[in-house]
Amino acid sequence: MTAPTETKTRPTYYEELRERGYSRRDFMKFCTVMAAYLGLETSGAAQISKALMTTPRLPVIWLHFQECTCCSESFIRSSHPMVADIILDKISLDYSETLMAASGHAAEAVMQKTMKDHYGEYVLCVEGSVSDYGDGEFCCIGGKSSRDILKEAAAGAKAIIGWGSCACNGCVQAAKPNPTHATPIHKLVRGKPIIKVPGCPPIGEVMAGTLIHIITFGTLPELDRVGRPKAFYSKRVHDSCYRRPYYDAGLFVESFDDENSKKGYCLYKVGCKGPMTYNSCGVIKWNNGTSYPIQSGHGCFGCTEENYWDNGPIYKQMASFPGFGIESNADKIGMVAAGAAVAGVAIHALATNVQKMGLIKKAIQEGKEAEHELKNPLSES
Amino acid sequence: MKGRTLRRVFVWELPVRIFHWLNALAIVVLCVTGYLIGNPPALMSNVEASNRYLFGIIRFLHLAAAYIFIFNFIFRIYWGFVGNKYAQWRNFIPTNRTYFKELWKVFRIDILLKPRTEHLSVGHNALAGFMYFFIFLASAFMVLTGFGLFAGMSTWWLPKLFAWVPSLFGDSEFSVRNWHHSVMWLFVVFTIIHVYLVMFHDYVEGRGELSSMGGGWKFIEEEVFEADQQAEKEAEKVKTRA
Amino acid sequence: MSANRIVIDPITRIEGHLRIEAEIQNGKVTDAYSAGTMVRLLEEILKGRDPRDAWAFVGRVCGVCTTVHSLASVRSVEDALDIVVPPNAEMVRSIMFVAQYLHDHVVHFYHLHAMDWVDVVNALKADPKKTSELAQSISNWPKSSPGYFSDLQKRIGRFVESGQLGIFANGYWGHPAYKLPPEVNLIGLAHYLEALEWQKEIVRIHAIFGGKNPHPNFLVGGMACAIGLDDASGINAERLAYVDQLLREAKTFVEQVYIPDLLAIASFYKDWGAIGGGLGSYLAYGDLPVNGYRDESSFKFPSGVILNKDISKVYDVDLRKDEEVQEFVQRSWYKYEGGDDKGLHPWKGETVLNYTGPKPPYEHLNVEEKYSFLKTPRWNGNAVEVGPLARVLVGYARGREDFKEVVDAALSKLEVPVTALFSTLGRTAARGLETALVAGWAREFYDSLITNLKNGDDRMAATEKFDPKTWPAQAQGVGHTEAPRGALAHWIVIQDQKIDNYQLVVPTTWNASPRDPEGKSSAYEAALKDTPVANPEQPVEILRTIHSFDPCMACAVH
Ligand code: HEM
Ligand code: HEM
Ligand code: NFV
Ligand code: SF4
Ligand code: SF4
Ligand code: F3S
Ligand SMILES: [Mg+2]
Repeated sequence: MTAPTETKTRPTYYEELRERGYSRRDFMKFCTVMAAYLGLETSGAAQISKALMTTPRLPVIWLHFQECTCCSESFIRSSHPMVADIILDKISLDYSETLMAASGHAAEAVMQKTMKDHYGEYVLCVEGSVSDYGDGEFCCIGGKSSRDILKEAAAGAKAIIGWGSCACNGCVQAAKPNPTHATPIHKLVRGKPIIKVPGCPPIGEVMAGTLIHIITFGTLPELDRVGRPKAFYSKRVHDSCYRRPYYDAGLFVESFDDENSKKGYCLYKVGCKGPMTYNSCGVIKWNNGTSYPIQSGHGCFGCTEENYWDNGPIYKQMASFPGFGIESNADKIGMVAAGAAVAGVAIHALATNVQKMGLIKKAIQEGKEAEHELKNPLSES
Repeated sequence: MKGRTLRRVFVWELPVRIFHWLNALAIVVLCVTGYLIGNPPALMSNVEASNRYLFGIIRFLHLAAAYIFIFNFIFRIYWGFVGNKYAQWRNFIPTNRTYFKELWKVFRIDILLKPRTEHLSVGHNALAGFMYFFIFLASAFMVLTGFGLFAGMSTWWLPKLFAWVPSLFGDSEFSVRNWHHSVMWLFVVFTIIHVYLVMFHDYVEGRGELSSMGGGWKFIEEEVFEADQQAEKEAEKVKTRA
Repeated sequence: MSANRIVIDPITRIEGHLRIEAEIQNGKVTDAYSAGTMVRLLEEILKGRDPRDAWAFVGRVCGVCTTVHSLASVRSVEDALDIVVPPNAEMVRSIMFVAQYLHDHVVHFYHLHAMDWVDVVNALKADPKKTSELAQSISNWPKSSPGYFSDLQKRIGRFVESGQLGIFANGYWGHPAYKLPPEVNLIGLAHYLEALEWQKEIVRIHAIFGGKNPHPNFLVGGMACAIGLDDASGINAERLAYVDQLLREAKTFVEQVYIPDLLAIASFYKDWGAIGGGLGSYLAYGDLPVNGYRDESSFKFPSGVILNKDISKVYDVDLRKDEEVQEFVQRSWYKYEGGDDKGLHPWKGETVLNYTGPKPPYEHLNVEEKYSFLKTPRWNGNAVEVGPLARVLVGYARGREDFKEVVDAALSKLEVPVTALFSTLGRTAARGLETALVAGWAREFYDSLITNLKNGDDRMAATEKFDPKTWPAQAQGVGHTEAPRGALAHWIVIQDQKIDNYQLVVPTTWNASPRDPEGKSSAYEAALKDTPVANPEQPVEILRTIHSFDPCMACAVH
């Protein structure tokens, strides 16, 4: 437990920023941008600035399991001038295998200390999936399995953030046949608030924004049904896509580098999964607003969504049908089924005429007989 | 052979007929527009995107037909309780031994083309009813998945009620969509077989099967109709006694 | 286990999960074991999938050297299907390649490696005025006023006083192996922070051409970013000017910050020019084509092998030959159908797990048997080192002028002989030197892209063979590149339009692998031999040598 006096003497974000030569205007500008990212009203900026002026640094433990570190990389791309600074200096990043100075036992000791001194206070960030196989031998750090490390670190965490699709849905290593039993963290930790920040990787500003929310308001951001911050994951890529008018007009890129692609038509027919993907790519964009996948001519492949590696092929709208080859999909199978139905119907019709010839003849005969009995009004007169 | 009198029987009440044709129309529109949504045609055009809204229209038609389809469907469920005996929900769900027996008999006659010895039912035969049951289930599935997809793009509360649907599909809208698309083919196959069988019955039995969905009448042998009525009375008696 | 065995796990400031066990006697490492302790098995996951999708899967092997696996992948498929990529796409790929180096090497130097040489806490003792003078004497970089350094110093002072040391907590500060004067430490710290700001700029090039970074998009047959000179989306004049500007700024940063810092720091650690050399054999596949990937003679980075420090002879490399590149699993947690002592060429490679190690939690690995998830690659049976040093040496040994120029200049500035290259210091220096080289080459690629566009060629992808119906029933290919950490190649076998086998042989696999069936060590283990360790509790010297390779374990195991 931190002594209250210590908390008071610790500089606030605002003080530290001023120390470092940022003006009050810079600071307010940052707060406004952050408020916009978090989807707040203009008054939200004031709230953020107030929080940053009074809150001490939040201890953070950041673990890596089965992953590629793209999430850490993306995090340090977070681009509004002060975001990288705040994350490096304004949270207390006590354990991060990517950035910390100490290694081995020395590193381990830092983590143990934070877990003890800040029990119930620290935020646990997890990058990567956990191998939930056997004794955990497919992912070990310091001789301990990722499963044990996660459980130990989760126990004293105030909240857990799952960075990236690995931690949130298992990502690429959980694609079929998932040989190492790569498992997202929410399946292994119970009774702790978990914020999922999926994406491969998530956008840097989204990662920073999620942390900033916790620091600013002291509460966890509002989450959608799946557990992702609503601020960043409530809209489909398709709904904020600047190519949407072409979609609505029915104008599509038919193949890469064709005339339509040079005109920036919609990428739906070359496999864009934007209509089924929730992310802020079209709004915040990537790398400080430079571009995003669709803007650079490649469809979205749904990197924030459950199971997306098994929803391929990437360049098709529909998944290939399991067991029927990569070019098969529901339409191909459906057409075959419809064809079979037509053929079956034709055979049935033929068989009917052969088999029931007698019956049909009789029916026709009956009709004719009945007709004979009718009086012909014309011949009558 | 002489003396076999056919009797005009009023089978399909007007609401059932209206349901049927609205349903048929909605399904055709849904399948066509749905297929186009999944597989947009290549249209080369120099028209500015701002001047056209083709795909938007296709999606609009799909959603409009979807609403017709849903409310019509709900109405039909209601009518399954208040409509005449041929419209009753019991026609669709196998609840007793006779239903299963009839299923087998129809299968022998219609599909294996064994000789027809007796006339079976006045309304749906058991097999047809059972098939409709399936297609009703499929309809419910399409409504669920369709609205499940729509929830994400709509701001209206009605579609929003279905926001939980993706959780049935491992939280993957992609899967929802894939299923929604795939099950479309069930409707296509059903329609082919259904339309054919309607014609087949009309052709081999000559009871006005085809036109029954227009006027509501079929032509049934007097004695079959009497037997049918009798059976109903028996059933009534059993019920009142109990 | 012997008493003098130390374990460093996790090795931090790297990518992924690396464990080093080292025997120490009389203040020196006598033997070392390098183990990768995390596996995902992407090679198995890829089987049965669409070869055109492979780049996206293997891209996720690593988010640090992001792009290189995707590049190797699309090249392997293009090789298998005989697809020739249009020149614009080649240039775009090369520009992305350069951006990757600029980013990766700078981040490595400042954020992953610097704290092995720079004592952060000691920087508090620096005199800001003297620091400013020193900074201005080595570079024209504008941020060098006394006020700038004193502000920084105050900020770090407060940080240290706060008691929340964050990433600096429990570092080996004050260890006798730190030799820099406080002023150089302060410059290093200042540039740590500046580089952190800068690194996110250069990768915008990836966003422009590939939509995002990390993990930009690639495409079999070319690139997806269509040229659209008359359209707001697509590559147009504005996008190209953006790239131009980013490349210019990057070049300035490398010339005015990275290289001066590198030389300044190196001048205090010349003794490390005799430590950590290791194998003395080097391999490079070469890359950066000027005239298309198929014309290897046009590569800016030439390919070749140097054996036993003999730079008078450079051997050629053939990735298709069965006996040249092979992987072994004798000491790795896998099994081969034909016996673990055999080597397999990657086209016939197998990746079947066979964990025989201790049950976690464990204290020590059983290094007498299998002890790592890395396979062990060999070139004609030789253990070789790959990476910046290998590339620079091969370029130097091949007599390339631009290599000779930068290498000789650095050697004379540091006043060390050419043999000092075979060392930990040489490895770290080579990384900086090649960064300067690629920053210069970038201009040629950019200009050549513009010239091509001026000539009316606006193709960005060859799509005639994009449709699997056009493919033969059976095909195999290999795609290679020079990843920041060294020679990288992917081998693919396609059967009935699907991936039948896919094998990656990765730079860090070459360097960090366990012993081969003959008991020969790979680069890490060899380089650690004889490394001095003043205090086994604070093995900063081991970190120096290991970090000089820039380990990436997610790559190494995949
Ligand atoms: C017989 C009934 C139906 C059939 C056969 C049908 C068929 C289809 C098909 C084939 C698609 C294209 C899927 C793809 O992109 O691959 C589709 C899309 C869709 N359907 Fe249906 N559908 C039916 C009923 C409904 C219903 C009841 C709703 C309810 C709202 C609905 C809502 C949607 C929506 C929202 C889409 C996605 C459109 C888009 O992405 O813009 N559908 N449907
Ligand atoms: C999209 C096309 C169609 C669909 C989905 C469809 C569906 C159905 C359904 C669900 C029923 C059961 C009605 C009830 O009692 O609730 C039904 C009955 C019937 N449909 Fe259709 N129908 C289609 C087209 C047609 C067409 C084109 C015809 C005839 C020309 C037709 C003739 C009939 C007849 C006669 C019945 C009653 C048959 C019996 O109960 O044995 N239908 N149809
Ligand atoms: N080793 C390695 Fe990589 C690199 N450079 C890949 O090929 O880092 Ni992740
Ligand atoms: S989510 Fe994707 S980008 Fe992030 S660590 Fe996992 S594989 Fe890498
Ligand atoms: S490019 Fe993708 S996200 Fe954009 S409109 Fe087309 S389908 Fe939607
Ligand atoms: S693939 Fe991912 S990065 Fe955005 S455009 Fe799609 S969500
Ligand atoms: Mg491999």
